[in-house]
Amino acid sequence: MSVAPPTMAPQAGAPQAVDVAAARPRIRPLRWAAGAVLLVLVAQFAWFLVTNPRFEWPVAGRYLFDPNVLRGLGMTLVLTVIVMLLGSVLGVLLAAGRLSGFRPVAWACGVYVTVFRSIPPLVQLIFWFNLGYLLPRIPLGIPFGPTFVSWPTNSVISSLTAAVIGLTLHETAYMAEIVRAGILAVDGGQRDAARAMGFTARQSFVKVVLPQAMRVIVPPAGSEFISLLKGTSLVSVIAMADLLYSVQVIYNRTYEIVPLLIVACAWYLVVVISLSMGQRRLERHFGKGQR
Amino acid sequence: MSDTPVLRVRDVRKRFGDHVALDGVSLDVHEGEVVTVIGPSGSGKSTLARCVHQLESIDGGAMYLDGELLGYEFHRGHLRPLPDRRVAAQRGRMGMVFQQFNLFAHWSVLRNVIEAQVLVHGRRPEEARREALRLLERVGLADKADAHPRMLSGGQQQRVAIARALATNPRIMLFDEPTSALDPELVDEVLSVVLDLARGGMTMIIVTHEMSFAREVADRCVFMEKGQIVETGTPEEIFDNPASPRLRAFLSRYSGRPAQLSGEHLLEEEITP
Repeated sequence: MSVAPPTMAPQAGAPQAVDVAAARPRIRPLRWAAGAVLLVLVAQFAWFLVTNPRFEWPVAGRYLFDPNVLRGLGMTLVLTVIVMLLGSVLGVLLAAGRLSGFRPVAWACGVYVTVFRSIPPLVQLIFWFNLGYLLPRIPLGIPFGPTFVSWPTNSVISSLTAAVIGLTLHETAYMAEIVRAGILAVDGGQRDAARAMGFTARQSFVKVVLPQAMRVIVPPAGSEFISLLKGTSLVSVIAMADLLYSVQVIYNRTYEIVPLLIVACAWYLVVVISLSMGQRRLERHFGKGQR
Repeated sequence: MSDTPVLRVRDVRKRFGDHVALDGVSLDVHEGEVVTVIGPSGSGKSTLARCVHQLESIDGGAMYLDGELLGYEFHRGHLRPLPDRRVAAQRGRMGMVFQQFNLFAHWSVLRNVIEAQVLVHGRRPEEARREALRLLERVGLADKADAHPRMLSGGQQQRVAIARALATNPRIMLFDEPTSALDPELVDEVLSVVLDLARGGMTMIIVTHEMSFAREVADRCVFMEKGQIVETGTPEEIFDNPASPRLRAFLSRYSGRPAQLSGEHLLEEEITP
């Protein structure tokens, strides 16, 4: 027995002696290195934030709750919610249209999505804001027939209506694709069963297909909501008093550009984080019964 | 009881592209009658069930439920398709049980059985709930009322699906291979529920691969191949004295198998030529 090398583990051949529960974690040097690098980077960035006087943190703090900034934030939120609501409703209709068995409708909805996904929202905003050039008066009447009333376009298209129209048309196209993907993800057997129970096409869509599609729709729709919120900052180019425009008005007067951009960033961050939390709750709600 | 069959299928044709799925199928099912449909895969058995339930449109022929033309109406001397609402109402008078169960995944078991009663047949919710619980009791799943379908075994899901289809008092029940998606040991619990329905006098069409069951439960048995009904008769005629060579060839592939309520032979059957 003494011929066994002394470095051999004690009782390596005895199976009852081993219990992996007693194992100690392995040391992983690369992880420690990555951790150290991360720590240095964070410290460096924090140092930069704190020591660079040009951030003018006190100025940022002073404007954070400035009434004009809060009004801008309110406008941003209102615009986001209006556009998202309109975009979601129209998006569902458009998605249903694209999946319609009636070819011309499906085709028209497909063309809409292609066109409005292709045009940058900024271009659309400027276009709608200048609609008055193309169409001086907005008529209401029988197509190709008599006009009952008409309004001067420039009094109808304010920066708010231009923003709502432009962003909604854009948003609708994206929501339609998200909803369509969700609908297609629902097993065909569910629709079969709904029809077999005697549900009408609408009942089976509203009661059975759409609720199950929500599980697939919510995550990308949440991202869409967030990117829309940030996308509303585009409306500052048509002089609409959103969050970005409000801080721009202030820094054009005071030249405190950086601290005021920080104010805007802080609010965007706060809103987006709360939205993400809401999204997670929605996902849990619609995920129940699945897996 | 009148002479009008509950379901009358007349020369029904259906094709999917170039493939002829139903090639002139005619079949009458009378009150309280149980008809089982057997035949090789792709013979059109399932298509027949789906066409009767109007989940697929038919290309020709006609179908009647209690003498009422299914899916079409006469308008100024011409036939035209019924509006969706009327078709839905006709579907609501039949019950369908699918191979893949297709329970509504976002609803509890109880709500699965309640919803069509309220939505389609306008029952009061509390009445629908009582009826649903009674039916779940009947299929032995009253204790699973609040569970979600995913939490149930395949056999349990299929029994819920049967309760759901029964909830609207259908004139006829259609079973589309109700045990083909089940693990072998779960087949019997579903078949015994179906057998129980048959003894209770329910009018049924059962498409199945379970030969011994098809024989035991049937008043009349139908053999289909290549979209046609090749032979129809009592279980004894079909299984003991098959007239056509095609039926004999089909049955011989099942011969020598133990005659019991079990699906184990099915798995082998798919492989054996």
